[in-house]
Amino acid sequence: MENILELHNLTKSYPKSEFTLEQITFSLPYGSILGFVGENGAGKTTTISCILNTAAKDSGTVKLFGKEMGDGDTDIRERIGVVYDGDNFPGFWTAKQLSKVMAGLYRNWDEALFRKYLEEFHLPSKQKIRHYSKGMTMKLAIAAALSHHPELLILDEATSGLDPVMRDDMLDVFLEFVQEENHAILLSSHITSDLEKVADTIAFIHEGRLILTEAKDELIYRYAVMRCKESQFRTLDKEDILAYRKRDMQIDVLVADGSKARHKYKEVVVDHTSVDEIMLLLMKGERI
Amino acid sequence: MRGLLRNNFYGTLAGAKAFAGIAVLLGVFVVAMDNAIPTLIISYALLVMIGFSLNSIASIRKDSATKWAKYKLTAPVKRADVVKSFFVSQLLWLAVGTGFAATAVALSVALHGFPFDRSTDVFMLFVVGIGISLFMGAFFVPLYFLSGEERSEVILVVSLLGGVGMLMGLTALINKRYPGTMTSRQIVFSGIFMIACGAAAFALSCPVAARVFRRKEY
Repeated sequence: MENILELHNLTKSYPKSEFTLEQITFSLPYGSILGFVGENGAGKTTTISCILNTAAKDSGTVKLFGKEMGDGDTDIRERIGVVYDGDNFPGFWTAKQLSKVMAGLYRNWDEALFRKYLEEFHLPSKQKIRHYSKGMTMKLAIAAALSHHPELLILDEATSGLDPVMRDDMLDVFLEFVQEENHAILLSSHITSDLEKVADTIAFIHEGRLILTEAKDELIYRYAVMRCKESQFRTLDKEDILAYRKRDMQIDVLVADGSKARHKYKEVVVDHTSVDEIMLLLMKGERI
Repeated sequence: MRGLLRNNFYGTLAGAKAFAGIAVLLGVFVVAMDNAIPTLIISYALLVMIGFSLNSIASIRKDSATKWAKYKLTAPVKRADVVKSFFVSQLLWLAVGTGFAATAVALSVALHGFPFDRSTDVFMLFVVGIGISLFMGAFFVPLYFLSGEERSEVILVVSLLGGVGMLMGLTALINKRYPGTMTSRQIVFSGIFMIACGAAAFALSCPVAARVFRRKEY
């Protein structure tokens, strides 16, 4: 399958904060949604900044539509829709003014489509954006990102701040978007339930390092958590343990193959897991 | 570029509307007053020319108040065009300010007669207003990108003072070149020289600012 986005050994460091994005490698195939998950400060936004050239990478390659994007590659940026986690547009604008600015920036700006989204999302076009609620500003940003007919959507915490009903509506919009086989979405979020609903693949980032990239179905149906006692934990093969976390009387152990673990360790309870639990174990747990 | 200019226009509009309102009221007052001593009309002309320009460059800061400054770079625009749009916008607003000043001077002359010693004084009035504005813009944009949004107020004041300083420096230079009473021809030549210096600084500042902005990260 061809990839709309490819990152290979992307590295970026900020000497003043001592934060380093270390050799991030992943790819996003056409027609799919990649969930990019990690705690605040893990490096999600830095990765997106490097993808979009708003920050300069130190090394590695980022390919969009098979090509590295430089400042002059405006044709590539025509094909990308972006949503940040709030305050995307100046508060003194109205949606109508936003549309006029966007029409001057994007060749394919579709005024009629934008108006349709405004109606669908119940967004008043003549009200200043600063008087919108947080949810309304996010819906406006999503409407703007979709109204120039992009092929790739890059959403940085685009669903944060939305109530569950609104989030669900937006996720439906994203699912509809990827029905087109030449479309794809990179969805950065720490709301794992959103990713469970829409993502095809989930990449976990922690302290600037990509620690796991896996198909969502594999995570939900194959991955598992073993609930071990201390004595049971000591008998486990190290290569079976992806991560573990000590709790009061038990140690939770993340394994990549639940059915294999059930056969191999018959006396240990092996539970199905969720993306949320996997994230907690990978990020708060220890690794061997 | 059209979208960028529109973006700058909306950023400047609220301040420009307020300033235009004050400029109209002041203009009516200045035009209504006797212009035997031309201080009022000179001050007014300089105020509107520099004021509209100042409002235009000050509005650059509004982009950074939200994620728009970053968002804009994800749109199909080149960084150099973003910078260029700020310079073009300032020129357009300087033209608006010059229009206000020209109207007030013309009305004042029509109502009360010619208040200046020589016709070249009117020319020099516009040279000073336009010159200060051009130098101010030339200083502000690259310094703003270089020093960051948090120092923008200081940069604005420094740029304005820098613009005034440059005009004073050029005036001193011209006075040294022509120590006695200057002929009209010399005055016009000096005015053109001052404007040319301001325009050159403004034109040079654009690629310098673009170079600084190319490295700016969001």
